[in-house]
Amino acid sequence: MVEGPGRFGLAGLLVWIASLVVQPALATAAPLDRGAFAAALCGDGAAQTRSVESFLGIASEAETSDVAWAGTALRALLDRRFACLGETALLLDRAGAAEGVDAATGAARPAAGGRSPVLGLRQRALVETASGAAVLLTAPGVEARRTGLATLERRIAAVPEALLLRAASAETDPGLRLSLAAVAQSAALSSADPARRLAAIRAVSEAPSGAARSRLSALKADPAYGTDPAFRATLDAALARVERAVSIGDGLAVLYNGLSFASILFMAAAGLAIIFGLMGVINLAQGEFIMIGAYATYGVQEALRRLAPAWLDSYLLVAIPVAFLASAGVGIAIEALILRHLYRRPLMSLLATWAVSLFLINGVRVAVGSQNLQFSMPSYVSGGVPLYADFVVTWNRLFAIAFAAVTLVLTLVILKRTPLGLDIRAVTQNRDMAACLGIRTRRVDRLAFGFGSGLAGLAGVALCPIYSVNPGMGANFIVDSFMVVVLGGVGTVVGTLVAALGIGGANVLIEPLYGAVAAKVIVLAGIILFLQRRPEGLFAVRRRR
Amino acid sequence: MSGAVDLSPRIPAARRIGPVFGGDLLLAGLVGLILASALGLVLLQPAPYLVNMIGQLAAFAILAVSLDLVWGYLGILSLGHGLFFAIGGYVCAMHLLAHAYAVTGRAPDLMQFMGWKSLPAYWTGLTSAPYALALALGLAVAVAFAFGLASFRSRVNGVYFSIISQALVYVAMLLMFRNDTGLGGNNGMTGFDVLFGWPMGTPGIATGLAVATLVALAGVLAGARALVASPLGRRMLACRDDEARLRTLGYGTTRLKLGIWCLSAAIAALAGILYVPQVGIINPRVLSPDLSIEIAVWVAIGGMGRLSGAVIGAVAVNALKFWLSAALPEAWPFILSGLVLAVVLGLPNGLLDLATLRLKPTWLRRGGPRP
Amino acid sequence: MSALVIDGLTVVFGAFRALDGLSLAVDPGEVRAVIGPNGAGKTTLLDAITGITRPKSGRIHLGDGLDLTKRSEAEIARAGVRRKFQKPSVFPALTVRENLSLGCGPGCPAATRSARLAAALSETGLEGRADVPAGALAHGEKQWLEIGMVLASEPRVILLDEPVAGLSDAETARTAEIIGTLRRPDRAILVIEHDMAFVEAVADRVTVLHEGRTLFEGGMAQARADARVIEVFLGR
Repeated sequence: MVEGPGRFGLAGLLVWIASLVVQPALATAAPLDRGAFAAALCGDGAAQTRSVESFLGIASEAETSDVAWAGTALRALLDRRFACLGETALLLDRAGAAEGVDAATGAARPAAGGRSPVLGLRQRALVETASGAAVLLTAPGVEARRTGLATLERRIAAVPEALLLRAASAETDPGLRLSLAAVAQSAALSSADPARRLAAIRAVSEAPSGAARSRLSALKADPAYGTDPAFRATLDAALARVERAVSIGDGLAVLYNGLSFASILFMAAAGLAIIFGLMGVINLAQGEFIMIGAYATYGVQEALRRLAPAWLDSYLLVAIPVAFLASAGVGIAIEALILRHLYRRPLMSLLATWAVSLFLINGVRVAVGSQNLQFSMPSYVSGGVPLYADFVVTWNRLFAIAFAAVTLVLTLVILKRTPLGLDIRAVTQNRDMAACLGIRTRRVDRLAFGFGSGLAGLAGVALCPIYSVNPGMGANFIVDSFMVVVLGGVGTVVGTLVAALGIGGANVLIEPLYGAVAAKVIVLAGIILFLQRRPEGLFAVRRRR
Repeated sequence: MSGAVDLSPRIPAARRIGPVFGGDLLLAGLVGLILASALGLVLLQPAPYLVNMIGQLAAFAILAVSLDLVWGYLGILSLGHGLFFAIGGYVCAMHLLAHAYAVTGRAPDLMQFMGWKSLPAYWTGLTSAPYALALALGLAVAVAFAFGLASFRSRVNGVYFSIISQALVYVAMLLMFRNDTGLGGNNGMTGFDVLFGWPMGTPGIATGLAVATLVALAGVLAGARALVASPLGRRMLACRDDEARLRTLGYGTTRLKLGIWCLSAAIAALAGILYVPQVGIINPRVLSPDLSIEIAVWVAIGGMGRLSGAVIGAVAVNALKFWLSAALPEAWPFILSGLVLAVVLGLPNGLLDLATLRLKPTWLRRGGPRP
Repeated sequence: MSALVIDGLTVVFGAFRALDGLSLAVDPGEVRAVIGPNGAGKTTLLDAITGITRPKSGRIHLGDGLDLTKRSEAEIARAGVRRKFQKPSVFPALTVRENLSLGCGPGCPAATRSARLAAALSETGLEGRADVPAGALAHGEKQWLEIGMVLASEPRVILLDEPVAGLSDAETARTAEIIGTLRRPDRAILVIEHDMAFVEAVADRVTVLHEGRTLFEGGMAQARADARVIEVFLGR
């Protein structure tokens, strides 16, 4: 699932931000009296508290330079690099240094005779929060700002909303902006002002997500839920709305995952169906052709890493032809060495392909090892776009889906528009007649077998960003791919597509309800029942026998 | 769909043995050898590991014969026969655990693992060996019947049937990997301490189990031989070679296939029953699709369509496996795949081709593809 | 009363109408030939009668009213309808005798079985080959064995699909002779053939099929003279 950014619907977020912009976010430059602030920090606990709280109060409107300055001072105070000399204060490079700079003017001065003010527990926490706020508002680095936000979160009740709002509007990093929004929401939800709370609850429901749901559910424990009818009504309505949206979003996510699983299945099964339709050979090594495609992708990645690191990110694209040719090459070799001798003995060819698969799995295991391969994720397959509630269109799955769509189109073009495709269709429909017409059926067999194997190799490329890659990975797809062929019927690309969508969809639809195993049981039972009605699959043309 | 077809033998017994029964003397010799080794085990008392190995080989041979009946004689290649083997094995394991619990009072690991205070209701009666035997065979036949009826009725056959049966065993494996099936999940079942009131693990019990398995193998072979040589057996061959034609002669092939299929499932379950007490454990890995394909590999290597071929294949491959997976564990998968390819390409009738000196690899023969 | 009645039979493969409302009646004791160019629907007709292909609409009745379109292949065979296939369809792994024994059908009592076996062996002239595996027979012998398998069941309706295709002249003559012996007053025979001389020799009447419909029905001599038949066969 999604990592990092993207827990909120983008649209909802914008609505929420707009709703918060009651006062303009940008500072109307209220000056900070640096001298007085420094002096107050040198005072007693009450003075410190007062001054730091007032700083937090004006930080959302203060000049950036003032905020940065206050941040430096507070940091120094925390690190005991703050020395008080009468009414003025010095900032030191390190604790106990002999010289420092004047906190207010920046002039260098000796630090002799200065004392470091002591922070009480309560004051320390407050100063930390204020320092974090300053960092969040002014630090140049994203990581520093993220740390600042983390500091703020610990005492979020003390942080004025306007401050968070200013940080959010100034923030350039989208991930951090989302985090800021979330923190600001929590802050508003626990606000003491009932009107603001209700507004926050409504705002949260505008951006529904699983996190929003748990945040709102937590409010049911709030005393106001029992005593304040308006609060209760607003919260219940908001929760209902969020729950509905979350279930729709989860439904979309399931469909999306189903579509991407179906895409991989389709690519694996299309080759199987073509080969089976043409030669009657059930290729039990198809899963291993997927594996070869994935390993070829890995090889491309490693080669680019060594030879052209600047191009590393493009390895998935470079791997497309490489994986296709690698799998197709192995397929053609197997056809030429083994299967050629076994046509018309379909059950024996089935055992032979099993032996090939055993050989390939163990060959790779011995040569490369049986651990999962590590892939670096280029930017175009990591992350995604949050679309609705928790539903995020992740690039890795979109990559697989787009890939399958392109493969589908290419397969159809090759089968319907090229001489090889015509030969394949002719031999599939009537081998003897095609041979009589001078079609070199053996050559067609070999090329088609290579083509079908190559399609499996493409599936291997597409699943690298999604599934783990190891020598035994083929087994995860092979049974489902066979079911696709059985359900879709032989020698029809459209049937394969529909069956892949059906089986992939059914698997992911049933899985959240009854579990993965039940999904497989139900799908298999469904296929067996379906075959009662149409033993030759969905799209098999009725022919004279 | 096929009306009242009587499968009882009415055709006068064939006077001569058909060409596929060329290995018949071999089979007779094989049965003699099996019985002789059973006697040898009793008289010579060889090392326990050897006794145990012979017993396991015999169980695999029974399993191979069950597959050969449907594949070699009926043309139905099941890639899911491990399912029936596992049904026999699991029920046998349940009986052994229930029995040991009743005798020793020591709760099986499984109960502690599942947090059970007592064995659940579906274990009721499994302390009784006859009931367990009936349950194992009955369950295997029931599953075979349901799956076979659905498939044969809709005329799913050939490789379609093979891959659907593979999906069946695959799904069963996923199911048994779950802990909530209550049959040990991933760990399976082990700790069989008592057999018929006798403590397990003594040389006497090992010999007894191995001898029982050998005798069962001999019995299964004799029964299977009688079946395939009978008029019903002729009908099986006819069905294998041209099922549609046999139907146009008035024979309802669904019933024929279903009957033999269920019989085969029961024999496979019997193999599982005999196997489990000898290895002392059962877990979902017996349901792996690879194991089920391996059964077909044994039959193909030995020579399908001949009962002796199934036995020879199962014994040869597994003996080699016992030896090599200890001596050269890395090499075994390569040797197995090489063996399969060599047999499939060079010895279309399996190792029996060697016996009959028909050493003409297909790739040396001229001309078109063989039917 | 007719032995076999086909009424409005339509068989569809995809968008192709292999049989299009075909009607046909064969009397007991009659040998009817069905001829027609390739693709006229001749083999489809036999497939529909024997239950291999399900028609889209129409009825096929035996003399006693049994509707074959609702029955399985095995039930149709047991009702006394037997077919000799175009391609010799014998069981190569079984001997001639075993093939004939299977031909008797499942419900045949043991006593009649041996008598029928002997009769079939002698009528097909395969007595000397009784214990030879069918796979070892010559092409002509296989054709005769298949006719023997039909005979052994004592059928009411016999369907012959191109029984002399690929046979030598001598074998064709022998086959015509065997078919002559099949003829019985209580038995209808439907034969599909391309060889006109053979059809003329064995058939009482011919039905000419064209594009799934009956084009002509009558004697062979009239068929040869019929303008439409000539056009269909010669493409004029």
